[in-house]
Amino acid sequence: MVGASEGGAFEADIQPFLKTHCLKCHGGEKVKGEVDFSKIKTIADARADAELWETVSFVLEDREMPPEDEPQPTDGERAEILKWYEEEFVTGVESKPASYKPRRLSAPEYRNTMHSLFGFPLEVNIVEAEQTVVEKSLVMKLLPTDPPGESGFANDTHAASISTNIWDQYSYLADFALEQLFSPDRKTELEGLVGSSIKEQLSAEQAQVFAANFMERAFRRPAQSELMRQINENLEEKEGRALVDSLKLEMKRILMSPAFLYRGHLMESDGEGGAQAVDDYELAERLSYFLWEDMPDEGLRKAVANGGLKETEAFEAEIDRMLSSPKSRTLAESFGVQWLLLEQIEDPRKDPTNTYALRSQPIDFLHYLFTEDRPVIELIDSKTTFANNVTSKYYPKDNKQLGKFIKPRGIERQIFANRKMTLENNPERGGIITMPGVLTMNKGAILRGTWMLRQILGEHLGEPPPDIPPIKSSPKGQNLSFRERFEQHRADKSCALCHDKIDPLGFALEEYNDQGGLIGKSQTKKKNSPAEPTKGIDSSGVMPDGTKFQNYAELKKILLTSQRESIVRNVVEKMLAYGLCRKLERNDRPTVDALTSQILEKNGTWRDLIHGIAKSVPFREVVFQ
Amino acid sequence: MKRTWNTDRRSFLRGAAGALVPLPFLNVMEASAKNLAGEVESPVRFMTLFKPNGVHPPSWNINGGSELDFRMSPLMAPFEKHKEDLLILDNMGDFGFSSHANSARRFLSGRSDNTKAASMDQVIADKIGGDTPQRSLELTTEGLFTNQIGCSYISYDQKGDPIPRESDPQLVFDRLFRNPMSDPRRRKEMSSLLDRVDDDARALLRRTGREDSETLDEYFTVLRETEKRLENIGQSATAPKVDFSKLERPPVAGNLDEQVETMLDLVALAMWTDQTRCISYMLGNSNSRMIFDFLGVKEQHHYLSHFFRNFTRENIDGLLKISLWHMEKFDYLLTKLKSYKDHDGTLLDNSVVLFGSGMGHSDNHTAQRIPIVLAGGGRGKLKTGRYLRYSQNQDLSRLHLSLMQQFGVDAESYGGATAPLPGLDGGEFEEYRERPFDTWTKIGKGQITVQGRLRMSDNLDEAKVFYVDVKDKPPVRVEIAFNDFHRFNFPYHVGTPIQLKGDSSQKDGQLVMTKIIELKSIFGKSKPGTRGG
Repeated sequence: MVGASEGGAFEADIQPFLKTHCLKCHGGEKVKGEVDFSKIKTIADARADAELWETVSFVLEDREMPPEDEPQPTDGERAEILKWYEEEFVTGVESKPASYKPRRLSAPEYRNTMHSLFGFPLEVNIVEAEQTVVEKSLVMKLLPTDPPGESGFANDTHAASISTNIWDQYSYLADFALEQLFSPDRKTELEGLVGSSIKEQLSAEQAQVFAANFMERAFRRPAQSELMRQINENLEEKEGRALVDSLKLEMKRILMSPAFLYRGHLMESDGEGGAQAVDDYELAERLSYFLWEDMPDEGLRKAVANGGLKETEAFEAEIDRMLSSPKSRTLAESFGVQWLLLEQIEDPRKDPTNTYALRSQPIDFLHYLFTEDRPVIELIDSKTTFANNVTSKYYPKDNKQLGKFIKPRGIERQIFANRKMTLENNPERGGIITMPGVLTMNKGAILRGTWMLRQILGEHLGEPPPDIPPIKSSPKGQNLSFRERFEQHRADKSCALCHDKIDPLGFALEEYNDQGGLIGKSQTKKKNSPAEPTKGIDSSGVMPDGTKFQNYAELKKILLTSQRESIVRNVVEKMLAYGLCRKLERNDRPTVDALTSQILEKNGTWRDLIHGIAKSVPFREVVFQ
Repeated sequence: MKRTWNTDRRSFLRGAAGALVPLPFLNVMEASAKNLAGEVESPVRFMTLFKPNGVHPPSWNINGGSELDFRMSPLMAPFEKHKEDLLILDNMGDFGFSSHANSARRFLSGRSDNTKAASMDQVIADKIGGDTPQRSLELTTEGLFTNQIGCSYISYDQKGDPIPRESDPQLVFDRLFRNPMSDPRRRKEMSSLLDRVDDDARALLRRTGREDSETLDEYFTVLRETEKRLENIGQSATAPKVDFSKLERPPVAGNLDEQVETMLDLVALAMWTDQTRCISYMLGNSNSRMIFDFLGVKEQHHYLSHFFRNFTRENIDGLLKISLWHMEKFDYLLTKLKSYKDHDGTLLDNSVVLFGSGMGHSDNHTAQRIPIVLAGGGRGKLKTGRYLRYSQNQDLSRLHLSLMQQFGVDAESYGGATAPLPGLDGGEFEEYRERPFDTWTKIGKGQITVQGRLRMSDNLDEAKVFYVDVKDKPPVRVEIAFNDFHRFNFPYHVGTPIQLKGDSSQKDGQLVMTKIIELKSIFGKSKPGTRGG
């Protein structure tokens, strides 16, 4: 059923192979590259880490491992392992949902959910001065930053457990919200939530209706009857101050309940033990946290109530409605930023206005791709980009489209929003890789190549070994470039393993300096001369498969053709993991394969991908354990 | 609904009769004052108050007078009534042009290049913080100025990294008085809540009927720990004797003035209740961008502080209004501290307050004659009621070293200073003395050379004009462009005798110098210190 074998092949063929050829360096005494086969004792252990076996298949296929100076397996043995991998992790895998695990709301999810629930944001209240920055959100100020989970994304909070510190902050935030809600300033919001106007004081009946309503929205599904009965009892026959105090306590009870703070405590098992479809409430919640980082809104709740999510057309319409809402910007700001590490973009001179410009540019571009139905592959090459007064200098001639940026009197630095621009004269700037901020983020060819390989092509690279000698300076009488010296440096076979892949990508961007400008083009001064590559810079390279290119323009063509599948697959994996808030597992492989080929076949868009994910088995189904 | 702030705030912290004590404390004050912290002697507190953007020197400086016989300057008028509790220092700082960021670092770190060490308030906090609930509070008024991040901090940790500040009085109040550990009412509420959510979480466990309860296990653990913490507090012998639950949370401030006064109320309350013994508070970033519309001033403070470059009468008036407001807040703090009885004296008697800036002249950023005022005797640490003008310009680091030592810190040097600043406790110090010098004018063709004392015009209609006083003759008027003003650092030499050579003309019988060729100091250095001061 699961895979071709039930572990027989693993014990008979794979384990002896690992022992002979791998354990010397990966397990036992040494653990190179963080790969430790000694921990994998059973077929279940093996299946738990599909990513590892994917890497194993690559290095065996490309004859990267075992290293040349070690005894080599026969071709037959190699083929045996590859066949096992195919059966176990590719062809033989059935599409199956993962087991259903509750997880705590991430800090931004909690912030947005509280905002939606109460109808006002939880913010600090202070008098603001010009040109200064205050963390307005009380939530973000008080809650600790979520570390990225196994999936690489911070919404994967499975490992970020609750602590007494976090409990205290939740308690404080709940008090803060409740005190505000019942203050005279928030009468409108309170009446909105109660659903009727409050004459002089809240009646016990109003309080009960309100509590039921509040619970339903907070728990993202119909109120629990037993809990509701207790709450009603506690509110009964009270009035005035005592009623409000009781109501606040009951509301705080809801806000501090695991059913609110976590996702996934309320959907019930069908008792069969196998895969089961998530119910409509869970589906709405999944969609909403995926696209908005927020609880379902009124529209989505209505759609659930009407049975709307069951009909494909209505379901699709709901996704499109959500994508066109301003809330969908979170896809770029959370998913995009975490995936492409855009948080690391910083102006080389650490000027915050410039940093904002450099960082917001790729975010605006991603938001455009995600929400305006653009093809997935436009990530690599696009005619459209976004720039403001700071970044406009990178786009000679085209920047005329941007118009003027006028600063008000007395303001030294003004942050301007980006404006949309069509690339007519600067085709090399199309796509995310040559955006100034992205080039700035990774200084030098090696870091740029590593970023492209990991973030764009989705390769799993190990960490560099700790004992690398420094790169030698040029011998006397020879004036070697960094690139030439680096090529000598990495002549070692074990270095070449990764650097054969990293270096061509990175050196292809040699024409760009650390500020993201084209070297030799004084772009700041001659605003109107179109950018051209500079002579004397070697940005040529050879891909691991032997394909040659002269410069980045040619590499880009390679990325768009022979590397297209790797890129699309990577995009699918990253977005699926973000949408599911978990690391992808072995049984997700068919979903990834199917989505990848769908996108490849018809030059699919980000919208297609989002629809595909929302309809996929791992998104729609779960297993209770 | 429009709030009536005054009534609210006064009922929060002022009695109807205007007694400057928190209302709920009136009855407990006497009793608790004696053993509030369970100590026989009151602890000595340390507090700093930072004024942004330097000053307009002629309005701040005390000219003439002596240690015990001096007249306070126009800008000091708001806190003149506290004269006997003040120790006013002059000739502090010896540095040419300071950036705003450097001036903020200098204020509590001695020199702007002292960037790898804790600021002195933190060193003192380590010494005196004891087991108070909050080791120290770092407060401010303004958001982060990210273009030059150093402008936003005066307190730095052991590594010299900035310590985050809080600007919201409500959050400060909550941190001090509304956490379940400090407030019995909150404790009770938390207990009821724990009972309820415990039930609810158990119901969830039954409902889902799931073995997998990893997340719920974590949740239950937190509930149990919280319960334990509440129990421990309840049994503690050092539990606060003051019922904080009777204190009302301050309402949201309607403007800057209210926000700052509320914060100062909290500062005094926090120190009096011994919630903390060390507080640093910035009235604004060192380049404050605040707009004081409630004073009728429409331009932002930083723009106005460059009063030479942006000279108009309206601007200088606006700047002085803002500076006076800062001084009024200092007065507000002192008055507040005096209103609390603390053991055998007032809270101010048992505190040391350091008020001041990191630069002197606000347009030229001259870090010399930096406004520095100490207040409160700190139970004998300082001898107040005096004005100390040192004979030589002093780095702030010497002052800091003195204060650290006074608070019992075992340090022999700080920020480059290896000897403390003398005189603070009444000991001897070398006082500034006038020395005789000749004054004269040499008139050439289109040029003059003049020797005499340089001063800034005290006529606000011409606040950018300087004069060189010559005995028995009309003064030479110096009306120069910013370039000369800055290049020769006029503010550095103000009040001292100089020789000045430059292009001049006669205007209505008045000699006017319009371009400077040379400036020489008669006694001092022609140029101030330039390295890291």
